[in-house]
Amino acid sequence: MKHLLLAAALFALIGCNTTKPEPASINQQATLAGQLPYNPLAWRVVTSWTNQNSHTMSTLYGNDLAVEYARTNAGHEYPAGAVLALVTWQQRDDPHWFGARIPGAPQTVEFVTISSPGQSPAYERYQGSPLIRTTTSDPTATAQRVEYLLSQRAAVMP
Amino acid sequence: MSSRSSTRLLMFLVLAGFLGLVVMQCVRPPLENPPVTADLQAPPEVKRILRNSCYGCHSNETKLPWFDQVAPAYWLVTHDVKEARRHLNFSEIGKLPAAQQKAALYEAVNFVQLGEMPLHSYTLVHPDAKVSPEDLAVLKNYLHPPAPAPAPDDAVKTAADTQYDKWIHASSAALTVQPALNGITYFPDYKNWKVIATTDRFDNNTLRVISGNDVAIRAIAEHHINPWPDGTVFAKIAWAKQVEANGDVRSGAFIQVEFMIKDSQKYAATKGWGYARWRGMDLKPYGKDANFANECVSCHSPVRGNDYVYTFPLAGQLGGSR
Repeated sequence: MKHLLLAAALFALIGCNTTKPEPASINQQATLAGQLPYNPLAWRVVTSWTNQNSHTMSTLYGNDLAVEYARTNAGHEYPAGAVLALVTWQQRDDPHWFGARIPGAPQTVEFVTISSPGQSPAYERYQGSPLIRTTTSDPTATAQRVEYLLSQRAAVMP
Repeated sequence: MSSRSSTRLLMFLVLAGFLGLVVMQCVRPPLENPPVTADLQAPPEVKRILRNSCYGCHSNETKLPWFDQVAPAYWLVTHDVKEARRHLNFSEIGKLPAAQQKAALYEAVNFVQLGEMPLHSYTLVHPDAKVSPEDLAVLKNYLHPPAPAPAPDDAVKTAADTQYDKWIHASSAALTVQPALNGITYFPDYKNWKVIATTDRFDNNTLRVISGNDVAIRAIAEHHINPWPDGTVFAKIAWAKQVEANGDVRSGAFIQVEFMIKDSQKYAATKGWGYARWRGMDLKPYGKDANFANECVSCHSPVRGNDYVYTFPLAGQLGGSR
């Protein structure tokens, strides 16, 4: 009994009031849920960015055609068959590192598909949790968004 | 008879122990306080916290209480103080470039937040040295005060543009990259690995992408990430932040790529992971000598319970498309 008490006291002294890092886990909140035409996470990265006004972080992925093109061409004339996918997450503080922010809940996933030269690229947008396809009736805004995505240059990776 | 001899034995042991303790006091590695040459410049409320919780070991102003002056405690304390000063010395921190000072302070605050510092063995005998949540908030606010979002910077943009133009027009001929100083060879394929995380670092003004080789991706799919299996390799790629007028912060100039390679046997000396880092567009191996990896291990130590990995990986890379 005495030993037990002593052990409990020691444990209280040593074990309890120390802070510990959050245990290892996958970034569950950032998981993409919903029916998407492609899985962008299976693709390679073109580049990534954040937006300091909306506190979001985005990763631009591409299928093989898109990535090969973006890494070797400064222009925006992606070949037919190229698909770009932009995943945008809300940012959250990294529980492990003061000084870092990491992806929180997914906000949108956008796809730009290049069909044949001369034809305007197809644009699809998915939003929310789970990700559900949204439609827009504003062709000018869509065209601007497509141009924005196509004009992102590849991150330099020597 | 037998009780008498055991009393004698006990007395002998006590005497021997006492004598041993006395003899121990003669062995005193010196612990001096060198002059304070470049003390940390910080507001008084920040200095108060650091003085109270860190300066005991991480400065040239060590004052040992009597119970730390007695060997063998003295030996332990002397060793700890020397080790502490080598890692971070607030009395000399002013000599470092501003960016390195900032990095050291961020690391210190994170070590406090992760429960790594002050050392548990220290706070047991010096309970006043514990950093309260309020004090931790003061330190964080000092390092990262509320501030308006940064504006675009022409020099940053020019540097990124120049680098990009050179890179995008370069021939695809592979660069010859020297091995790291610990013998680890470069992994040119890191750019084709799947992404497991992105980080936005306001402590050092970089954006990062972390990619993982096939072993890493399979481990994530199987939720087998603590410990990670041998053969796992991560690449962490860092770029300078490039602020645009619309609030986008792009991946600007490439800074470095660094790797963690899991092999519990081969890299046992660095806790099961090999570390390597190549900097700049010429991919120059980082460090002065093969011991550079000690820096990496030391910084990753607070997450030893997570197999020394800070990252919370994204899952779903192996999910089908359509």
